[in-house]
Amino acid sequence: MSASKATAANRFGLGARPGELDRAGDGRQILLAQLREPPSQAEFRDLPGSAATLQREYEQQRANRANRNADAPPKSRKPGMAASSESMPESTMTAPGTDAASARRRRTAADRVASTPNDPADREPATPAEALRRELRRQQLAEFAARYRHAASTDAPFVERLTQFWSNHFAVSIDKGNARLYAGSMEREAIRPHVLGRFEDLLLAVESHPAMLRYLDNAVSIGDDSRAAQRAQRMGGGNGDKPRRGLNENLAREILELHTLGVDGGYRQDDVIELARAITGWSTPGPRDAQTLDASFVFRANAHEPGARRVLGRSYAEGGVEQGRAVLADLARHPATARHLSFKLARHFVADEPPPALVERMAQAYLRDDGDLRALYRSLIESDEAWSPAARKFKTPNDFVISALRAGELPVGNEARALIGLLASLGQPVFTPRSPAGFPDTAADWSNPDGLYKRIQAAQLFAARIDAQASTPYQRALSVLGSDAVNGDFAIGLRRAGSASEGYSLLFASPAFQWRC
Amino acid sequence: MDAQRRGLLAAFGASALLTLFPGATRAATGHDTRLLLVLLRGGLDGLHLLPPYADPAYARLRGEGAVDDPIRIDASFGLHPAMQQAATMYRARELMPIVAIAPPYRERSHFDAQDCLENGTASPTGARDGWLGRCVQAMPGGAGFAVAAVMPLALRGSERASNWWPPLPKDVDPQLLQRLQPLYAADPRLSETFERSTHAATMTRDGKGAFALPEAMRIAAQRMSAVDGPRIGFVEDSGWDTHRNQAPLLQRKLAELDQGLAAAREGFGAAWPRTVIAVVTEFGRTAAINGTGGTDHGTGGMALLCGGAVRGGRIGGDWPGLAPAQLNQGRDLRATRDLRGLFKSVLTEHIGLAESAVESRVFPASRAVAPMAGWRAT
Repeated sequence: MSASKATAANRFGLGARPGELDRAGDGRQILLAQLREPPSQAEFRDLPGSAATLQREYEQQRANRANRNADAPPKSRKPGMAASSESMPESTMTAPGTDAASARRRRTAADRVASTPNDPADREPATPAEALRRELRRQQLAEFAARYRHAASTDAPFVERLTQFWSNHFAVSIDKGNARLYAGSMEREAIRPHVLGRFEDLLLAVESHPAMLRYLDNAVSIGDDSRAAQRAQRMGGGNGDKPRRGLNENLAREILELHTLGVDGGYRQDDVIELARAITGWSTPGPRDAQTLDASFVFRANAHEPGARRVLGRSYAEGGVEQGRAVLADLARHPATARHLSFKLARHFVADEPPPALVERMAQAYLRDDGDLRALYRSLIESDEAWSPAARKFKTPNDFVISALRAGELPVGNEARALIGLLASLGQPVFTPRSPAGFPDTAADWSNPDGLYKRIQAAQLFAARIDAQASTPYQRALSVLGSDAVNGDFAIGLRRAGSASEGYSLLFASPAFQWRC
Repeated sequence: MDAQRRGLLAAFGASALLTLFPGATRAATGHDTRLLLVLLRGGLDGLHLLPPYADPAYARLRGEGAVDDPIRIDASFGLHPAMQQAATMYRARELMPIVAIAPPYRERSHFDAQDCLENGTASPTGARDGWLGRCVQAMPGGAGFAVAAVMPLALRGSERASNWWPPLPKDVDPQLLQRLQPLYAADPRLSETFERSTHAATMTRDGKGAFALPEAMRIAAQRMSAVDGPRIGFVEDSGWDTHRNQAPLLQRKLAELDQGLAAAREGFGAAWPRTVIAVVTEFGRTAAINGTGGTDHGTGGMALLCGGAVRGGRIGGDWPGLAPAQLNQGRDLRATRDLRGLFKSVLTEHIGLAESAVESRVFPASRAVAPMAGWRAT
């Protein structure tokens, strides 16, 4: 099975940039070369880490409290949002139309502008708290912009697609306020360093990152027989003004169901509870610790459930933070995990319903090499199924946008508000899958009439921004889709376009551009 | 630039007319006034918007392309019949067309001419930021706001300027849908989705439909009308480059501009008496119609000034005439006024910038360009 460069660039990568199809070697060689060394991460150099962001966040909360104590009018809160170290100031994020309600309500553009957050430049910040809130918001916009700048320009697009795949596998949805500021840094700190490494390390890095610990509530989970619970009992907790805290199974359940074994992976409710107990105490530094620790993970021995645990029939002796790590290490090596990860990867790269034989071969390679992700990727690339001409994947909105940025050589600014708004209106707001299961990955999920129409609109927007001096739409189509994909009416339409923007609109809105072929 | 004054227009005399708003003895300046610049990209054909119907040369130059039923607003000029709202504003003395005005650029490139208009200098490379941006910087407070996908050159140069654009503002070009139809018909997986997508789109559009100039002007006006809203605004529109068959095209575009003026007036609401809207374009077009019913790049363009702070109901500028000897290179209307003169006057008299700031920072090296007085309601 010959491995075409167009497939390497458009199905395994993020969509070709002009010149990308001229690389030496066949598709397989191009992909294997990208796996050899981690690509440059220059785009992310100046972004603050999660530890610094935690400090900044707590600083903002302190300033907020000082504000309120000074009898300033309190910030409006969503009902049910408690003021605690776990809550985020509202409207740290949001580009036009990213909040769910506004995305659902059909409104005129005039209404939308009325609800657009004022630009930081509009007014002097009224208070230190406000200034900090804006700074956090700017930081987040810079984070998103860097992500898309990198995707639009990287020379290792296969690695970047893998990065985004894992980011969605370990989904954190920033519509949950307390995780909002950390989804981006989780991708940078937990996923990027391990995307070409071992799954066990990737898993451990993700499950101990503040984004995940907060998103799935483990940061506040305490063992029922832990010292913290006993102290609370003595203090008469549970009937006072604080709700009694206890074990939270949320993260443990998703680790088993989504991150490792898969829903049919053979675990039971007892395993969920035992894993939840094993990882009690895995938390993020609170307002007091953050200043001294300069870390984004803390193990709270006081909150940890004492004693041995039994998960999937194996015993784990008491060992503080090591107990949970040992369970995760075994989960990473489990055959069900190998099959679950292989199926998801094959679905992502080959077909909505991937060939079972391919999935099985990938799982074997994974297990043979002790969870080495590169072995897993190689078994995929080296298979014939991966290069079958029939294999194609419908682009998600995120894929569509990134491939258009690359094909059009479109610049991504420092704040990328328009891009963030566009992704939201196309139905895939950045880091907002609204569930720990992440964004779905089949054509049926994304190929709906409204979504397609919006892509055609977006195609016109992109086309309007292209530097038309660089090449004609027909030449550009050839250079990014390859000559096999540009024929018949499509080629004629591209050649006869009345203006560059008409031709580029046709390119981006064409069916050929909606598929990763 | 030594055009003979025709005395056609009393616009820039010192005679103070009654203002439109009895009881408002002075328009406020310097703290809560508003300026909205509307840039029509592509070169608006001023002779089509404001036909000099009384001049026989006009009919001779335009032939079948002449506007045959203009709204006669004075003894020489009429407004295109699509400009009903503008005519109403003119009669209410809120609108003043200014003839034969252009940026100080005499070549025929759209892009260079627009750069020159936006950067506020005598050349397309004269500055890397824009005169509106420098104006915002020179103001003691307040902000600039553009309805645009990318920050326009005109507003660059100030941190207090922002731009906003709806994520998916544009209606789909019907031609594009036609071209896509056979391509999607050949994709069994997407053909039905495509058919239903265009159907669904027509179902969900409200009466306003496209995010075109009227909507953009309404949004800018609404945003600027807030008590602490941006004082400087910018809106742009493209598609004014009418080389072929311009009558139906301009019929549609001028109607949009007309709706935009009405939408802006509505959007400004209570701020309207303190508002000036300047509608400008990078250059005019050839005086004669070309072989394909259109006009080509020219020189002397036109501007519209409107708003409650404008003493309208008159035509401003110096009309150079349409006789062959009066035309620039024998082809197009001469430019007798530099747009910077108009802008300077608006910034000092209406926005309240000090003359020294305007001369040194906003329009450097423009001392020779006299401010264009007499447009303002007092």
